[in-house]
Amino acid sequence: MGLPRLIFVTGKGGTGKSTIAAALALALARRRRCLLASLDGRSSAAQMLGLEAGGESPATRRAAAAPEPLKFDRRAELEAFIGRIVPMRAIANRMLRSRTFGYVTAAVPGLEAFLLMERLRIVAGDAALNDYYVVADAPASGSALEMLAVAAGLRALAPLGTLNRLAAGVETMLTDPRRFGVILTATPEELGVREALDTARRLGELRIRRIAALLNCAVDPLFDAAEVEALRKLDGHRELAARRRELARRTAAARRQLSAAGMDVIELPMLFRAELHGRELANLARRLGAAVVADEAAG
Amino acid sequence: MKPPVESILAKRLVICVGPGGVGKTTSSAMLALVAAGAGRAVDVMTIDPAPRLLDALGLDAGSNQPQAVSLDGLGRGRRGRMRAMRMDPKHTFDRIIERYAPSAAARDAILANRIYRNLSQTLAGVADYMAIERLLELHEQGGADLIVLDTPPAAEAIDFLDAPRRLLEFLNSRAVTLLGASGNMLRGGLSIVDFAARAVLAAFDRVTGLHLLRDVQGFIRGFDGMYPGFVERAARAQALLRDPSCTAIIVTTAERERIAQVSSFVEGLTAAGVAIGAVLVNRVSAELPRPTGARRGDIGPALRRKLAANLADFRALKRREQGALAAIRDAIPAGVPLIIAPELGYEPRSLRDLTEIGRRLKPG
Repeated sequence: MGLPRLIFVTGKGGTGKSTIAAALALALARRRRCLLASLDGRSSAAQMLGLEAGGESPATRRAAAAPEPLKFDRRAELEAFIGRIVPMRAIANRMLRSRTFGYVTAAVPGLEAFLLMERLRIVAGDAALNDYYVVADAPASGSALEMLAVAAGLRALAPLGTLNRLAAGVETMLTDPRRFGVILTATPEELGVREALDTARRLGELRIRRIAALLNCAVDPLFDAAEVEALRKLDGHRELAARRRELARRTAAARRQLSAAGMDVIELPMLFRAELHGRELANLARRLGAAVVADEAAG
Repeated sequence: MKPPVESILAKRLVICVGPGGVGKTTSSAMLALVAAGAGRAVDVMTIDPAPRLLDALGLDAGSNQPQAVSLDGLGRGRRGRMRAMRMDPKHTFDRIIERYAPSAAARDAILANRIYRNLSQTLAGVADYMAIERLLELHEQGGADLIVLDTPPAAEAIDFLDAPRRLLEFLNSRAVTLLGASGNMLRGGLSIVDFAARAVLAAFDRVTGLHLLRDVQGFIRGFDGMYPGFVERAARAQALLRDPSCTAIIVTTAERERIAQVSSFVEGLTAAGVAIGAVLVNRVSAELPRPTGARRGDIGPALRRKLAANLADFRALKRREQGALAAIRDAIPAGVPLIIAPELGYEPRSLRDLTEIGRRLKPG
């Protein structure tokens, strides 16, 4: 199956979610129109591509076409939503201005998160209709799972009415493998991998498609055991070779655990660079392009 | 203990703040161990620790009470004592309700209320507020020389520090009070705008199918009589955080993307009047060993090339890390010390590992 229209990138904090979302959007944008949606409120991924500042980073200059940034403003989503359910503008405005209303919406569990999901549903529908892709730079896996489960929660709270109907629509979108899927990022360290595995299990329960696990900062062993043995008189080199092999061992363990959970594992190499520039991002995009976007290239 | 750790652990209260994924919880436990190893009686309160850390601390997943941590076999030195505790926001909130509810009926009504159940789990800031609340409890119970508090992951320090004010504002807003009042109480006291607010809420309820208004009213009525207790405790908590015996430690890693986050924590804490004891940079890699020259004849050309490549790789990573470290140093105020915590080369999974990190802390 090819990529879904909406690709949701999440993982433990510090595993490179934004970088991967940016690289993936860049890879897709070379083939098709692609939107890069920031759900973390900070637009980190878009900033990496220099999409916000107006200036173009080297990574985007080389691209045939750059991804288009898409930002979500919770307040604006709430206003749009109220505008839809309360057709009379004067009343809608009064509701929005009322402090009471602000507090009640704060107390309704996840109303804001839900409105974000509703917005994503609309965007995904449009993407399918007009043949483009949306990459979402999502929050860390804990908050991301809350967002993905919020529609089901709201349906339980409001068994009838507009909200229930909208929530059902969001659930349908989330469980449609052609419209929605998640890429889980991890680095080869125990906590990150465990969080990815927990998230994968939870996504399975929610019947949400897992596109792949993306193992970032993967390290190859470079030396075999015999070579390390041959270094026995060269203390410094031997220690560095041992460090390398330890990082590689963790990479292999992470790879094993993630595939044992039934996920395709895509590896991105650790970038042994003193500084990371747009060039490195473009490199990641090329690798991701080969691994993830291959199906789309033909289409 | 060496400075700057010594002066920090001489405080009564240390709050570890920082973005997600930097090792706040591990660092909190590590600092508590360092202090206990120096003879102090320490309580550490963790939030959502990894299972392995729970094991290491001897905590079971459901426990909400302080449990003694055995310090046996962790090296010489004066031995203090350490207790660890896991914070569960929902449980803490329930206990507060139980404490302040004017009657058993009011208590049950609140605990069963749909709005309360959602509020206690999902309203932004409740976890933060409950951490502060628990801190206050521990502080007032006494029994510890030092309390180390881990905080929920946050984008900004203000999320945590501002929590009591936000919760109080919610509970005390005229609008919410208005919702909770019955029709009779309202007669004569309402402006047109208030009536309009009620009317639009009723419309919202109807259209969305949420039927929240009744629950909101029940919730607010239940809180009648509890409010003064809340206000008073929140004020005490705020005073405690600003007290000179309290200090905050910003935990970070030596990565470029952390620099702006650290600056925002510095700003937030400064604005809130909370002292910053140090910035702790976690998982800083060890110095690179000085490679001995490989003589021709010892090893073949292929291996020699690999050695050169490997050395270049690790040097590049080290330069990247040092660049980030220098930028973090520039981003923090002049008087705030930097503490470097080493990357062990393996993941810390026991008290012994944490002790090892503590032993190797150094000024940055």
